[in-house]
Amino acid sequence: MTRIVSVELLLLGKRASTWILLGIWAALALTFAYVVPYVQYTNDPTRTSLSDLLPESLVGTLMAGFPFFGGVLALMLGVLTVGSEYGWGTLRTLFTQGPGRLQVFGAKLIALAVALAVFVLVAYALGAVSSSAIAAAEGADVAWPSAWLLVRGLAGGWLIFAAWAALGMLLAVLTRGTALATGIGILYAFVVEGLLSALAGEISILDRLVEFFVRANGYSLVAVLGVSPDDVGDRGPGSFSGPFVAGGQATLVLAAYTAAFVLVAALLLRRRDVV
Amino acid sequence: MTENTNLVVETNDLGKRYGERIVAVDGLNLEVRRGEVYGFLGPNGAGKTTTLRMLLGLIRPTTGSALVLGAAPGTPEGLGRVGALIETPTFYPYLSGRDNLRVLARYAGVPETRIATVLEEVDLTARAGDRFRTYSLGMKQRLGIAAALLKDPELLILDEPTNGMDPVGIAEMRPFIRSLGRGERTVLLSSHLMSEVEQVADRVGVISRGRLVAEGTVDELRGREGLWLRAEPLGEAERLLGSLRGVQEVARGGGGLRIAAEPAAAPTINRALVEAGIAVSELRPERASLEKVFLELTSEQEAA
Repeated sequence: MTRIVSVELLLLGKRASTWILLGIWAALALTFAYVVPYVQYTNDPTRTSLSDLLPESLVGTLMAGFPFFGGVLALMLGVLTVGSEYGWGTLRTLFTQGPGRLQVFGAKLIALAVALAVFVLVAYALGAVSSSAIAAAEGADVAWPSAWLLVRGLAGGWLIFAAWAALGMLLAVLTRGTALATGIGILYAFVVEGLLSALAGEISILDRLVEFFVRANGYSLVAVLGVSPDDVGDRGPGSFSGPFVAGGQATLVLAAYTAAFVLVAALLLRRRDVV
Repeated sequence: MTENTNLVVETNDLGKRYGERIVAVDGLNLEVRRGEVYGFLGPNGAGKTTTLRMLLGLIRPTTGSALVLGAAPGTPEGLGRVGALIETPTFYPYLSGRDNLRVLARYAGVPETRIATVLEEVDLTARAGDRFRTYSLGMKQRLGIAAALLKDPELLILDEPTNGMDPVGIAEMRPFIRSLGRGERTVLLSSHLMSEVEQVADRVGVISRGRLVAEGTVDELRGREGLWLRAEPLGEAERLLGSLRGVQEVARGGGGLRIAAEPAAAPTINRALVEAGIAVSELRPERASLEKVFLELTSEQEAA
């Protein structure tokens, strides 16, 4: 298994689209967490709190982007990891080499999990550098979040990504490709979850439904880690104003989604004909 | 199904149906023996590729069963000893030919030293470092064959291996395929090109509309050798030949006569015709080509 996981890591690592997604993620995370708020702060110090941009707020500041554009990018990475194999026809090449279908899928899954961890670590590394640079520029004291909060932040970020990426994988297996899977995934994230979440405040029956949405649980998880609900409530298409659930429930729901998406994708991949 | 150790591929009423209307493969009973080059012939859409995919476990049969090297199709026990090229070669476009083989070698648990060997075998070493997406169709096909050879397989399944190759490439491929079938290795070669199969296969199976309509050696399928005659007047020649000893049958066709007789009888026939005042312009041995047999078999099936 280690052997084929290393191959899958090689395949992800040599793919331009992996690096493009990582670049977009890094740029968006940096821009919306630090660059734009810092420009706002320098223009009008009353609009943005400097403490949010310092290392001590690293986790809370960074995590706001995970359930929104980060999740969509993770979904795309999940789609590409499996969906491209259908487009190129390489799935049938892999399935005739010897390892069983579930082993192939497992290797892809592990490689994707590693790639998602890299995405999270890159965001945190950039956040650490940026917040340190702002602290130095403003002459502020540098204090880092506790190790426990950092670990929870890293794990929470990875879990949010994992849920979206697993959904991407499932959509890719269902549609046997990338284009339709990506389209459906983005449509679901923005239109279904986004619009229904926005309407939840007005239609009470939607409240219970929205509590089980991926993005609602993602936002609930980051809220526990220090993201203020106010920070995500007024950000255009990524805005989310509730309902929020408890951190433990959010963790469980996201983990359950990840497991369910992976399980269904694995069963379909194992049972269906590969042409 | 009980295992016959001399059979590398054995199918028992193998079938694949899509919905109620489309029958891709219909009760196929195929036997491929160890060490032979088996030509699997059929027109486009006859069910060749579907059959091969079922043998590799890519497609599940709706009826019947199959054994490949004594194992159920698609199981690691069987797949580890099978190399396959199904239709167009499928590889990662952003990787080089060599890296693509490296991916497959690791998947198959094959030492990477095999990569250089198979690249050399298909004459692709010089371009092995280039990305797959830059390859011509013929080069892609050769990389596909290299990939199929990577495991040094006991059974090699090649589906239309000369697709996209130029005439020189095809001519080079024939002895190559023949050489692949030497020794213990078995080659299952699927094609719709008769000449390709005729020159390399030990035995041939003809599939039409999902059913095996004929099976045997190339010679068996082509039937006995006879004679072809062009003469004037043709009607008189036909009457005379009908009464000659050693001539089993005479039939008109193609502006001449097809004579069911041993080619060794040609001098006797020629003498009899000339002595009867018939002008003989052509008398030569003739044997039905595999293509003719194939067209007859498949058109009969179509008509049925």
